[in-house]
Amino acid sequence: MYDHQTRSLWSHITGKAIQGPLKGKQLKPLASMPQIEWNKWMTNYPNTKVLSVPFRGSMVESLSHDTYQRYHASRDTGVSGMKYTDKRLPNKSLVIGVQVQRKYGEDRLDGEAGADGQDGTDGQDGADGQDGTDGQDGTDGAVAHYNTQYSAYPLIQFAKTAILNDTVNGVPLLIFHDKKSFATAVFRRIVDNKVILFTSTDGHFAKDNSDTEWNLITGEATSGKHKGKRLQRLSSVNIYWFAWARFYPETTIYKP
Amino acid sequence: MKHYTLILTLFLSLSLCATAADYDNDPIRTLLNFDDIPAIIKPQFVPATKAKLDMDAPVIGVTFNDESHAYSIYLLNGHEIVNDVVGGEKIATTW
Repeated sequence: MYDHQTRSLWSHITGKAIQGPLKGKQLKPLASMPQIEWNKWMTNYPNTKVLSVPFRGSMVESLSHDTYQRYHASRDTGVSGMKYTDKRLPNKSLVIGVQVQRKYGEDRLDGEAGADGQDGTDGQDGADGQDGTDGQDGTDGAVAHYNTQYSAYPLIQFAKTAILNDTVNGVPLLIFHDKKSFATAVFRRIVDNKVILFTSTDGHFAKDNSDTEWNLITGEATSGKHKGKRLQRLSSVNIYWFAWARFYPETTIYKP
Repeated sequence: MKHYTLILTLFLSLSLCATAADYDNDPIRTLLNFDDIPAIIKPQFVPATKAKLDMDAPVIGVTFNDESHAYSIYLLNGHEIVNDVVGGEKIATTW
């Protein structure tokens, strides 16, 4: 994608400018819902507003069909002149892509992956403007190091369960994907500085090992010990394997 | 001391090479002209009660500071980017 001001070329996968005057600049990801059925979104966010676009003389909020249907059904990547060599998964396998950044101080481990200037709920930031890959910054001798790990969750892993408890870069995560509504979310499995484990689901509701029930679309505890608490959401993408593996070749793939 | 500086510099350049992403060397091909796929610059919204979508229509959902926006994925096929403000935050929703 290009910005109108400088015509720099940006990757919408990494959020980084790869060509032009802004080359090297990094946009912050905002944790969101990459895809979900309208009725599920509306039920959970009744005050939502909906994008409305002029189309053939009237304003519309959707179209009746997907113009990329054939692309999604085909095995083609659609990218000419590129060979994708990471054959750990078929090119067009859909995965949930997650990156977990940790910042290492001089001696101590910061551990606040995806730490957030907001209220620690919705919204993740690529802290400190770093690009998430291994790097360092800081002056005056206080050098902070960054380390990022990447993990891919093939959607086929969600055929029989909607939740996976995992740990990436030392950070306990819950990965949620509902195959019917296509809702996807990644949360830190930490409440009041304690790690929780999710044990069962009913639709987009899940119970943890304290018998608290959580809404995994909003991230809020609806009943039980932690009622009223909210999980911190990490940004994630629903993406074809060929693209994820090309941008993040060091990615691991979740195996049960 | 100079030696140390040189070694450090070499080490840093080596590690930069090692960590630079593979795709950095991939060819970039331009297939369309600027704005052939028109990004949405001044998005308009309707409340959920007035929105005409199939119940199972796929949308992208963004919620921030108690404000929520939904964007039909089928509509975004033709625009790919919405320049928007949600909960006071200036964002680009991309598809």
